[in-house]
Amino acid sequence: MELTKNITLGVYLPGNTAVHRMDPRTKIIASTILIVILLLINSYQAYGYFLIFISVIISSAGIPPGYALRGLKPMLPVLVLMWVFQLFLHSSPDAEIIFSWWIFSATDAGLHLGNIITLRVLFLFTVTTILTLTTSIVSLTDGLESLLSPLKRIGLPTQELVMTMVIALRFVLILAEELDKIVKAQMARGVAFDRGNFIQKTRKIFPVFLPLFINAFRRAEDLIVAMESRSYTGGRGRTKMKTLHMGRVDIVCILIMLLFTGLMIFTIFA
Amino acid sequence: MPIEVTGLNYSYKKGTPFEKKVLYDVNLQIEDGDIVGIIGPTQSGKTTLAQHFNALFIPQSGVVKVDGINTADKNADLVKLRHKVGYVFQNPDYRLFASSVGEDISFGPRNQGLPPGDVTARVNEAMAQVGLDYDTFYSRDIFALSGGQKRRTAIAGVLACKPKTLVLDDITAGLDPRGRDEILAVVKKLHSEKNITIIYISNSMDEVAELAERVIVIDQGRIAFNDLKINIFNKPEKLRDIGLELPELMALAIDLHQQGFNIDPALLKFDEILLSILDNLHDGQVRE
Repeated sequence: MELTKNITLGVYLPGNTAVHRMDPRTKIIASTILIVILLLINSYQAYGYFLIFISVIISSAGIPPGYALRGLKPMLPVLVLMWVFQLFLHSSPDAEIIFSWWIFSATDAGLHLGNIITLRVLFLFTVTTILTLTTSIVSLTDGLESLLSPLKRIGLPTQELVMTMVIALRFVLILAEELDKIVKAQMARGVAFDRGNFIQKTRKIFPVFLPLFINAFRRAEDLIVAMESRSYTGGRGRTKMKTLHMGRVDIVCILIMLLFTGLMIFTIFA
Repeated sequence: MPIEVTGLNYSYKKGTPFEKKVLYDVNLQIEDGDIVGIIGPTQSGKTTLAQHFNALFIPQSGVVKVDGINTADKNADLVKLRHKVGYVFQNPDYRLFASSVGEDISFGPRNQGLPPGDVTARVNEAMAQVGLDYDTFYSRDIFALSGGQKRRTAIAGVLACKPKTLVLDDITAGLDPRGRDEILAVVKKLHSEKNITIIYISNSMDEVAELAERVIVIDQGRIAFNDLKINIFNKPEKLRDIGLELPELMALAIDLHQQGFNIDPALLKFDEILLSILDNLHDGQVRE
């Protein structure tokens, strides 16, 4: 039994493709633009283009497609639930009823909205996964910090904010590994997580989450001590060993992004 | 409760780019009443192997049979199997969650669905077996315990399920010498008095030499040795290749033997070696 197997968020897949070599700032900006595009488009045709574009990125980054999708597995029940809610609860006066049962009725507008929202979440997740799979934590931090640095002038502690975010990302995996051990330790004492009714199953959460939280606090404390003992005092006056440089790959990426954004804007207004 | 492992292979994160093979064609057998040490460097696959014994891992290929039950069998009652093969984890913090020692130890028997009276009896017995006084410790806060007491609570929590086999996964890690000795004494007693099969996983040669009769040495996911400990400790060069050292006392005995003292280099137990050295002192053979 391995719980960490299906977690792809926050995992870095080392490689030496153009996508890996790109400046992290380019990748962060490109991802942000893709996310904004995702929130704006609402036709199946546009999602089709988006799928093609994302597939090209995935294959050029050398990410096995199956692995990129693996992270979606644990989210599936939530996605299905969301789709069903949209399908039945959306109402508009001129919508056509395609299916009805008891007091619920599904409309074509509801179906469309359900599909679009589900696709949106799927793609949002995939875009973020691609970013973290191809960018190491260190360069992600550097990139974000550099991008947010103008905000320092208005007194925002950008370095600290980025550090917090990166630690949170790192902890996803650490906590998942810990969860794996705790679940096993409790299974070894005869907890059958898959047996019993809803209430019985819910009660089985306590023996797992209590140790998990306690250990998380302990880890946080250890981390603080480790950082302080290495004289971490926040962002002020820190310099970088490696400075960021934009290269030819980045220019190519920016050009491609411009073209793709243009296409997407065209599909929105066409 | 014999454990039979044949042709066992296991890869972590199988089917992802991070796939890593950790067990290669492992074959072994553990009989009733055995006291076996499993030793190997960190990351050698000890824990992954041992967690196959109580079906926390199901073989990807090969067969693991516990008491004749194939753990990969869909109809096998794995919950019941896990009560028979008790597993104590390295870090007790992963499983202690209750507010008191007694409540934590009773968790296993309660999962078995025993009536309250039986649960209390089990807790009482388990606490006695690990040397925790019932009246003093029953309602003690778990987070107020010392490292050694926490481990003993963890062992008692597993013993309360009445296992026939006990897998102890590096349970002395991070303990002070006294806590370590206490735990080893508990393990010895469980084997000699209750006749519980013991599978003791460790990377300390000294502990394994002290406890086990048979030793299984694992190196990079393969069984390097599976033999009586005397036969294994006779090959110090091979052990060193794997990154393991001889037990300290045995190395001392060999050293003294080579320097001309009358000490049997095959001695393994602390008391025996100490007596042997004392004998030499009385014989007046000590130079300088």
